[in-house]
Amino acid sequence: MKLLHEPLSGQRQVVLGVVGVVGTAAVWEGVIRSGLLDVPGLPLPSGVVRGVGDLLPDSTFWDAVVFTLGEWMLGLAIAAVVGVLVGGLMGAFRSAFLVFEWPVEAFRVLPSVAVGPILVLVIGQGRLPLSLTVALACVWPVLLNTMYGVRSTDTTAVMTAKTFGYGGLAVLRSIKIPSALPFAYTGVRIAASIGLLVAVSAELLIGNGSGIGGYILSNTANATNLDLVYAATLVAGVLGVTVNLVMAKLDDVLFGWKKGLAQ
Amino acid sequence: MTEARVTENPVPPTGTSAELLLDGVSRSYGDNLAVRSISAEVPASKISVIVGPSGCGKSTLLRIISGLDEPTAGRVEFEGVPVKGVPEGLAMVFQDYSRSLYPWMRVDKNVAFPIKHLPAKERAERVRFAIDEVGLSGKEKLYPWQMSGGMQQRVAIARALASHPKLLLMDEPYASVDAQTRADLEDLLMRIQAELGITVLVVTHDIDESVYLADRIIVLSAPPSVVAEVIDVDLPRPRDHIATKTDPRFVEIRGHVTRLLRSKEQATSA
Repeated sequence: MKLLHEPLSGQRQVVLGVVGVVGTAAVWEGVIRSGLLDVPGLPLPSGVVRGVGDLLPDSTFWDAVVFTLGEWMLGLAIAAVVGVLVGGLMGAFRSAFLVFEWPVEAFRVLPSVAVGPILVLVIGQGRLPLSLTVALACVWPVLLNTMYGVRSTDTTAVMTAKTFGYGGLAVLRSIKIPSALPFAYTGVRIAASIGLLVAVSAELLIGNGSGIGGYILSNTANATNLDLVYAATLVAGVLGVTVNLVMAKLDDVLFGWKKGLAQ
Repeated sequence: MTEARVTENPVPPTGTSAELLLDGVSRSYGDNLAVRSISAEVPASKISVIVGPSGCGKSTLLRIISGLDEPTAGRVEFEGVPVKGVPEGLAMVFQDYSRSLYPWMRVDKNVAFPIKHLPAKERAERVRFAIDEVGLSGKEKLYPWQMSGGMQQRVAIARALASHPKLLLMDEPYASVDAQTRADLEDLLMRIQAELGITVLVVTHDIDESVYLADRIIVLSAPPSVVAEVIDVDLPRPRDHIATKTDPRFVEIRGHVTRLLRSKEQATSA
């Protein structure tokens, strides 16, 4: 067996990954079928896969998926804009840091899903309160990463710019912001996964039947549809993994130059 | 104490032909005196080298000269004008090229960094000239981290040249590259200096390098540093790593500088 840092061919990586997924499902299937674990409501992996098959032609499910994705992206976008702006200001200017430090610390510990019902009271039902709930959870990793990114700009890089006559604001624009962007993006990546979780959770709580959460909720009412519920959960999970993969790929394309910092 | 053994003002400042004049420059951080009453002249269109033991405040001195830091006493004049903030016509090359070059910019963008305000045509010409001057034509579209250390330091030198400096400051510029690359870069620096007539001030802890490069060596003592001696090096140019370094005069000066640094170390440790 190869140690963690040793290279492994792409093909073997895929094979090992598949073995992990299929193996886990097989063990699970075996445990339930053998009667080792006898709890009503636990799904059989084979049943869940059949459930996914039933979901695919179901247009209400796809409407729900599209709704959740839209809600999530809007929330993530709000979080990214606010997080980068406020985090950037806090990283660059001492006064901004002092002004925002305590409000950020205070709001950061609020469970965003708990704020959802209040948002519904204030602005009513719909996609917006859901997106804002998502944004409230997503903004922190973006904000903090951006702030630390701006702050951790290399001192030699800054000094170099100064010796070429760059003033404070020019250094910020030409050096600090570009070198903080990968940090900000990492924040967005972390936020993206959190956001999808929060989106579905918020739908369960204040979704009023909309989105993947709403779909799951309305189908749990009917115990015979449990496989469908698990299948929908699985789809939500796959969605999350896909999002993560796409964003990691984008990271390589946009910030490939980060490799230069690792040396 | 060491007071009696130290020459405070080996070269009395005249303020005339010097491109750069240091007059009693001191810098302390709290109670800690980093450099003490440094006075020296850096002549125009020559290579001057500040050499001293590590931790002798060489980098502090360079930061003060470049206007990034202020002396707690004394003054620095560049072309007869007291330095306040970074003076026009100054460029600096740092030891740590991997941090000084911008990893998100390709070579040509890095080199163009000091002259972004110029019209595109002139900018492109200067970038081409500077990259050509350091022998990196054809590498414009690489990222710095795709290059070897020596090549990266060439990019940093090209970037400094693009700004058309009158004074080129170099802080231990070759301390992070291997010996062969170091020799090549030393020759590159001397060739460029001769061609363009720039005033160069190099800071190094390497005695060989100081004698090989310098028209004038400013020897610093151990901290709190003062100028131990100023030595004008009369070795003929162009210099060569074999011929120059076997020249009896080279050997003599190197021995002299070595003795100076050693006696200072002993003086402070005694």
